[in-house]
Amino acid sequence: MAAAAVQGGRSGGSGGCSGAGGASNCGTGSGRSGLLDKRQALTILPRLDSNSWAQAVLPPQPPKYLGWQWKIDDKPVKIDKWDGSAVKNSLDDSAKKVLLEKYKYVENFGLIDGRLTICTISCFFAIVALIWDYMHPFPESKPVLALCVISYFVMMGILTIYTSYKEKSIFLVAHRKDPTGMDPDDIWQLSSSLKRFDDKYTLKLTFISGRTKQQREAEFTKSIAKFFDHSGTLVMDAYEPEISRLHDSLAIERKIK
Amino acid sequence: MLSLDFLDDVRRMNKRQLYYQVLNFGMIVSSALMIWKGLMVITGSESPIVVVLSGSMEPAFHRGDLLFLTNRVEDPIRVGEIVVFRIEGREIPIVHRVLKIHENRDRVSPCWQNGHIKFLTKGDNNAVDDRGLYKQGQHWLEKKDVVGRARGFVPYIGIVTILMNDYPKFKYAVLFLLGLFVLVHRE
Repeated sequence: MAAAAVQGGRSGGSGGCSGAGGASNCGTGSGRSGLLDKRQALTILPRLDSNSWAQAVLPPQPPKYLGWQWKIDDKPVKIDKWDGSAVKNSLDDSAKKVLLEKYKYVENFGLIDGRLTICTISCFFAIVALIWDYMHPFPESKPVLALCVISYFVMMGILTIYTSYKEKSIFLVAHRKDPTGMDPDDIWQLSSSLKRFDDKYTLKLTFISGRTKQQREAEFTKSIAKFFDHSGTLVMDAYEPEISRLHDSLAIERKIK
Repeated sequence: MLSLDFLDDVRRMNKRQLYYQVLNFGMIVSSALMIWKGLMVITGSESPIVVVLSGSMEPAFHRGDLLFLTNRVEDPIRVGEIVVFRIEGREIPIVHRVLKIHENRDRVSPCWQNGHIKFLTKGDNNAVDDRGLYKQGQHWLEKKDVVGRARGFVPYIGIVTILMNDYPKFKYAVLFLLGLFVLVHRE
């Protein structure tokens, strides 16, 4: 989001300095803990959006080399732009991130846990069949094998029904806790679709009120070209306002009612 | 420095997504396993699909053909049928044709069980019968040595299995790469 853009601007500013065979303070610019050098500030200012002016004061920068980290949450998302499923996954994950981090909702893992449980049970049947067959070689193990095989395929059927009808294409269920603590939580659901070899991405946001149990939906359909640059990096500056607009349209309706 | 960009997706996953990747891999392996065990149960044979390894059954079967077997208790073994059997003490099954059988239909004789069969086999392309291959002192095969009877075949496809067995490093490399691909790639 805006903080990431500022960080990008800062590294761009440092690069420009060293390219010019810059002054001594440019070389140590990245080592400083967060204070903008005047020259760097001037290169960065035009890039700030007006609504992120309040974030112009940078948070303290982490040291440049943290060693090799496993988690890369702050690195901008870069994917193969021709891979449809990677595009959809990155858009979904970023939408999830916006709702959870910007609006501070709490994720509900119920749907995902259901799917994981069904898969785990299926694998369990397979493991039981494998071990039993190993301990009692084939002809004696026939009834147990038959039972495990049938159970496995029944679980596969259940999994297919679950993902088609219960989970549908919902990838996030988030709760907004009531600040007064009296009313039940409001539920926000995100679901998306991106057809194969198509560029139109549809994101649908559903709001279920905790008190009245009413459901309201809003969605947008846009080309993925609006959100990715030519190298496949997701530009959060273009994507995040869309999500916010979708969210606010549902939240505002609530206030009017 | 090795650029591990292909791992980027994995590094961004939370615990549940990582577990789902592992489960995905497990489910693919389990599906293959369950289909194999299901075939075992349906056909009654402990190895329902085998690959012909030698040329002893030419011109009927060539090296690399895939055979589908069944081993139902009620099917009688008759002369002229192609059976896959395993000799005691050897682990690789052999595909040959039944040449002669001794079958007991007489309930009186004490040393034969009712319906017990002893049979002799020979490969179509071999000059002599298989007595030389049997265990020392064994002259006939019995129903318990049979893995199954050939019911159908698909030509040439088994060459891949033969290659994988002749070059195990190739097999491990292919399996490792496939496994890595499934674990890293999100569906």
